Amino acid sequence: MNTLMWRLNRSEVRISAAALAALAVLLLITGITMAGTYHGFLGTCAAARTCADGHSLLFTDDGVLNVVVYATMAVPLLFGLFWGVPLLAREFEAGTHSLAWTQGVTRGRWLAGTAGWTLAAAALWGAAVSALVSWWRLPENAVGIPYPRFSIGIFDIQGIVPVAYSVFAVALGIAAGALFRRLLPAMAVTLAVFVGLRFAIAEYLRPHYMTPLTKVFPLAAMGFGAPSATPAGSWVVEALSAIGPDGRNYGDAIQFSFMPAACRSVGQARIIPCMAARGFHSQAIYQPATRFWAFQGIEAGIFVVLAAALIALTWRLVLTRDA
Amino acid sequence: MRTQETPAVHTAGLGKRYGSLWALQDCSVTVPAGRVTALIGPNGAGKTTLLKILAGLSRPSAGEVSVLGRQPGPDAEFLDSIGYLAQDIPLYQRLTAGDHIRIFARLNRHWDAVAVADRLAALNIPLTRAVGSLSGGQRAQVGLSLALAKQPRLLLLDEPVAALDPLARHEFLSSLAEAAAEGGPAVILSSHLLHDLEQVCSHLILLSASRTQLCDAIDNVIATHRVLIGPRGKPPAGVTVIKATNAPRQSRLLARLDGPVLDPSWDVHEVALEDIVLAYMGEAASAGNSNLTAIGEAS
Repeated sequence: MNTLMWRLNRSEVRISAAALAALAVLLLITGITMAGTYHGFLGTCAAARTCADGHSLLFTDDGVLNVVVYATMAVPLLFGLFWGVPLLAREFEAGTHSLAWTQGVTRGRWLAGTAGWTLAAAALWGAAVSALVSWWRLPENAVGIPYPRFSIGIFDIQGIVPVAYSVFAVALGIAAGALFRRLLPAMAVTLAVFVGLRFAIAEYLRPHYMTPLTKVFPLAAMGFGAPSATPAGSWVVEALSAIGPDGRNYGDAIQFSFMPAACRSVGQARIIPCMAARGFHSQAIYQPATRFWAFQGIEAGIFVVLAAALIALTWRLVLTRDA
Repeated sequence: MRTQETPAVHTAGLGKRYGSLWALQDCSVTVPAGRVTALIGPNGAGKTTLLKILAGLSRPSAGEVSVLGRQPGPDAEFLDSIGYLAQDIPLYQRLTAGDHIRIFARLNRHWDAVAVADRLAALNIPLTRAVGSLSGGQRAQVGLSLALAKQPRLLLLDEPVAALDPLARHEFLSSLAEAAAEGGPAVILSSHLLHDLEQVCSHLILLSASRTQLCDAIDNVIATHRVLIGPRGKPPAGVTVIKATNAPRQSRLLARLDGPVLDPSWDVHEVALEDIVLAYMGEAASAGNSNLTAIGEAS
């Protein structure tokens, strides 16, 4: 099985290794520079208490490099499309499954060997990419501005979740190949399901892994130029919103429509004090930075369980359907 | 010494249904061990379906099947005992013949690496070129050599020569005959043309309209079929008419005889195997026209 997998996939392995090496070189060079800049900056800013401006020194505004780093979010999908889908779909399209399945190993062992190698390779590559990105972002994570590592999009490219996404994407690709037995439909379904599910979980499910904290602020926190209200590094699930005296949430902008009549004509600068005097305050809902790894674990767990279900489905399809 | 009692293949009432269509129906055949059997039938007759069931790749919907005394299925000992070469000879196009040999050596407990290398060398087939760049005849030989290297007791070949030119076809069948000689595996190979296989086969299974029409030794088939020419009307006693052609005053019957025809009003003539096969196929096709559906042979 090992020989089979190596002979069949050596060019894919070489291409992936080259891409990984290129990413590593790029991130190592810029990352070392960035770490140097950051440490130099820390030395001077601590005295001047201006450390919050640190992000401008780093690569946060360096468009191309950030695109490369954010693009690693698509790496698991590539594994799914180009490693997962072909594993079975290419065999069915070429008819070679009938060759493989009439050798002296049972279909179950054949599947365990081929799928096992592919999943392991995806986990390993996903871990390597994630490790590089996590390391590269260390200074930015420390500064945490403008985007802490907990925020959507940045959470998704570091830590352990990229490994789980990679394993899930490959399992999805393999299952789609077993179901459709053709490359293109299996790729289309893998793409749609992966993107749809990743988005839905990040957007709708992730905020609820643990009950978010609510913090109450004076209304002035919503004023223009007010310093960030939520603790550093936290993931703001619901931005600072105006809360009326009756407890009603009026959203994240102070608008004429809900101002008490007395405050409508007091002049721009006095609106907030006027409303505060009439019982308005503000609140933010957020997940504190300390929950980062708990969330990583929960999200990774969800995708690993989904991957296991897809592998079970594949097992059933391969062992019970006619060749 | 192999047990002569266990046939290579035995099926009873075997059937396979895809949705509401029967690709194979009521197939009852017995194939003796150590013989080369031709599986003949028009396209869509169920040849591929039968071979896939025998190879354990497809599960029957009805009936019984036993291959070398075992139920075909996903167990390693069964898989060790068969060799299977699917239609169009699927191989890993990007890999070389040498790669195939090394890979399959690891996937099989019985593997005759020397024999397979010798065979391919004798045929001048390069081991270091991607099989996708080999000719059809060479690919077929690679497929056959890989199947033989498993040292199977039953070799199943689905239309192995259909895509080959006459020379490659001749060479392939010669290789096969050599491999199947004394002590070799039982072989079942399919074709829609009997002519392709007559030189190597001693047994015949005729499938038509998803059903078994004939399953016998070729010598027996020839010995028991005759053309009878005689008066119109009732056929003579003791014959089963396969095909009747009526002229105004006389009938020409192609019939299976259960004994000698004693009625002097009938002339008895020998008949070529090909005509017998065509008669069965033609009759099955017209009799079962409603039954004859355009089922693709591959699932």
